[in-house]
Amino acid sequence: MAALAEKSTKERLLSVLDDLEVLSRELIEMLALSRSQKLPQPGEDTQILELLVQRDKEFQELMEVAQQQGKVHQEMQLLEKEVEKRDSDIQQLQKQLKEAEHILATAVYQAKEKLKSIEKARKGSISSEEIIKYAHRISASNAVCAPLNWVPGDPRRPYPTDLEMRSGMLGHMANLSSNGMNGHLPGDALAAGRLPVLTKYPHFIFFLCCITISTLFFFFFYNVSAADVSAYLSQ
Amino acid sequence: REKAAQRTMAVSQPRVEKDSEDCSLLPLVHDVIKCMDKDKDGQDVHQELMKLKTKIQKAREQISNMPGIDSSPQEQQHQLATLREQVRTKNQLLQKYKSLCMFDVPKAS
Repeated sequence: MAALAEKSTKERLLSVLDDLEVLSRELIEMLALSRSQKLPQPGEDTQILELLVQRDKEFQELMEVAQQQGKVHQEMQLLEKEVEKRDSDIQQLQKQLKEAEHILATAVYQAKEKLKSIEKARKGSISSEEIIKYAHRISASNAVCAPLNWVPGDPRRPYPTDLEMRSGMLGHMANLSSNGMNGHLPGDALAAGRLPVLTKYPHFIFFLCCITISTLFFFFFYNVSAADVSAYLSQ
Repeated sequence: REKAAQRTMAVSQPRVEKDSEDCSLLPLVHDVIKCMDKDKDGQDVHQELMKLKTKIQKAREQISNMPGIDSSPQEQQHQLATLREQVRTKNQLLQKYKSLCMFDVPKAS
């Protein structure tokens, strides 16, 4: 019974239809045989007939059930469409929520970064007077903008000129060893040839010292005499 | 015997004829038997037999094409109940999401 209950309506209908076909064929054959004097067993035709009527009744009942199932199937199809629509709505909503979450997360992150910058600026705050003083100092050398009264031919430049460099601390340090230089620019002493050679050609002097030291080293460690050197050079 | 068969068929016919879609095979079997009784040479019988065969074939095709009969009525009812439950649940979920307040607004102190 359990196996029968699990059978689909289609299977049952086809099975009953097959039975009907077989039974009707048997009945017709039996009646045809009875006419040709070959008599079948008594009661057999009645039995077949009863079975045929029973099967036909079953077939009709099953067809009604099948029609009812068809109507239910239509309702199920409508419900399936509705389920699909709901699924689509849920997916759309999910997508929009995801987008909103992304936007909000970005906004929150940027707001947090702003707050951090604000806190950092608040900790390292400088008074406006100091900033303005510093701005004045930077712009005093005319590096930011030309002076209002500057005309072509004016020796002033937005960068330190040669004269300004030499009149600075470095220039003064270079002039310490020179005599009679008080109040005079190093450039004048250079032009007059009064600057010592050491300050005039520092690289050349350094090279000369290196040669002298290496020669002394050579003589000292290898016990080479001056006569040996002159003999080597005359070869 | 043929008359007995015809009488039995006749009894079961009126109930069958109530249906607009006459899916019963008994009338055709009855016609075959009647023809066998009247017609001795078998030409009409053969014709009626072909009608019966055709009707059986058509019934088979009709059954194959009928929608919704691939499961038993109980299974189908179960599937229907499941679908209805799905629709109800999804409707509830959508309603919940649309009316959900995502932000907890803090009370002003």
